[in-house]
Amino acid sequence: MSVFRYIADNWDTLGPQIETHLFIVAISIALAAAIGLGLGVGAARSSWFGTVVLAVTSTLVTLPSFALFGLLSIWVGLGNPPVIVGLAMYALLPITRNTRAGIMAVDPAIVEAARGMGMSGRQLLTRVELPLAVPVILAGLRQATVLVVAIATVGATVGANDLGQPILAAIGRSTGTLDAVLAGIIPVAAIGILADLTLAALQRALSRGRVAVAAT
Amino acid sequence: MITFDHVSKHYAGHDGPGAVHDLSLEIPSGEIVVFVGPSGCGKTTSLKMINRLIEPTSGTISIDGEDTRKRDPNELRRSIGYVIQAIGLFPHRTVAENVATVPHLDHWDKQRIDTRVNELLELIGLPPRDYAKRLPAELSGGERQRVGVARALAVDPNIMLMDEPFGAIDPIARERLQNELLRLQQVVRKTIVFVTHDIDEAVKLGDRVALLSAGAKVEQYAPPAELLARPATPAVTAFLGEARLVRRLALIHLRDVRLQPVNGSAPKTTVAIGGTLRDALDAVLRSPDGTVAVVDGDRVAGVVDGTVIRLASQ
Ligand SMILES: Nc1ncnc2c1ncn2[C@@H]1O[C@H](COP(=O)(O)OP(=O)(O)OP(=O)(O)O)[C@@H](O)[C@H]1O
Ligand SMILES: [Mg+2]
Repeated sequence: MSVFRYIADNWDTLGPQIETHLFIVAISIALAAAIGLGLGVGAARSSWFGTVVLAVTSTLVTLPSFALFGLLSIWVGLGNPPVIVGLAMYALLPITRNTRAGIMAVDPAIVEAARGMGMSGRQLLTRVELPLAVPVILAGLRQATVLVVAIATVGATVGANDLGQPILAAIGRSTGTLDAVLAGIIPVAAIGILADLTLAALQRALSRGRVAVAAT
Repeated sequence: MITFDHVSKHYAGHDGPGAVHDLSLEIPSGEIVVFVGPSGCGKTTSLKMINRLIEPTSGTISIDGEDTRKRDPNELRRSIGYVIQAIGLFPHRTVAENVATVPHLDHWDKQRIDTRVNELLELIGLPPRDYAKRLPAELSGGERQRVGVARALAVDPNIMLMDEPFGAIDPIARERLQNELLRLQQVVRKTIVFVTHDIDEAVKLGDRVALLSAGAKVEQYAPPAELLARPATPAVTAFLGEARLVRRLALIHLRDVRLQPVNGSAPKTTVAIGGTLRDALDAVLRSPDGTVAVVDGDRVAGVVDGTVIRLASQ
């Protein structure tokens, strides 16, 4: 396969691109998780807030990434920042939605027992609701990660030096196009699959005793 | 003592007199008081107002003379045991962790929690060696309910609120749990408010029974024997049903009954003197000639027949 020779020959440029790709994904997911968890908890507590938050986050994922990154680069400049912010916006929906669903799926009898034993709202959340929602929240995190790993390639158009670069460089070129495109796609797919498997394993490990709730 | 003083609860958007209308009741310390009545009559609402899971619309509930509204609701709830039909064990926590919930909230040290958890698991008949590390999913329904009771007893509260705790359990396990509760009560002497819609359960467990009708109206508040012997209102008679007198037999102990002397040889069919008139009735129906010997160990204490039962039940 000539693509692997191509990857080996171009490792000097590809290596840093893989690194940047991972960095962008990790930061955007961390950002989205921090915000999405909070929004999800709020959305589970208040139905009008939930409606608003889900409407907004659902709208965000319909924005074309090319346009979103371009727009964001006007405010935060070119390079990694618009990509990180944009990807976090995409990742918000699965994380928020699943956090809300996971909390709302907790058996009302468990919540009543917890309140009846004198847990405060915060204790109920941190000791009962979030731990029980963990499998569902992780499912959301998984969806978000896989989504973001793929879309991150578009970040190359606003100057992020990630795995979109080899693909972008190949477009419009007449020779060696396929190898260059694959040199971007194969590591992206590998990262996506690895992230998915890792999070799936984590999800299983943390599901002890919890009733499996299908991610919505 | 728990005192309801003209307590009412109206749920928003619901017309009529309200789920609980002007309830006044005193629940003495150290007794089991059972709220019994038809579905929707306001038993659960009344119970949950005691630990402020529901706030009354008007009126006052006090514990040992202190208005419960003066207390922090979470602190109040931690000081009152609470058991519900659905139990609500935490599925991600072990049996021991579940039982340790309130001690944990109260910041007990680990040593003290461990000792207490072991003590409680022994008390409810689930040896910690076997059960402490199990998850709720690895227990039977009856075992889960016992863990629910142990969890409610963890910080040794003076008051226990129990809302149909044995409602979802098969009759045999249910009877065993009832007996265990009575045995436990001999040891712990709590003030227990127990909700059920099963009159047999109410009569068996209650030191007093409050028979409620719609709006938590108190139709009669009396010890079970009195309730069965002298129903105060037609609603009570209707709720007690046809078998009222047979039920009452279960409350009369053979030791308290005037037996017939043995005449010639004692009847072959026997009943132990520790039993009740209901046991005796069962034996009379089994006996070929309708007479039964009441035995006290090897000794025959006397004879029971239909006439004895009828006279004793009046
Ligand atoms: N959260 C609520 N909002 C509105 N109405 C309610 C609410 N909870 C209970 N009710 C109504 O208040 C009345 C009393 O309810 P409650 O749950 O106290 O009855 P109960 O005696 O415990 O009945 P059951 O034996 O079926 O458990 C019922 O008519 C019920 O429909
Ligand atoms: Mg009820």
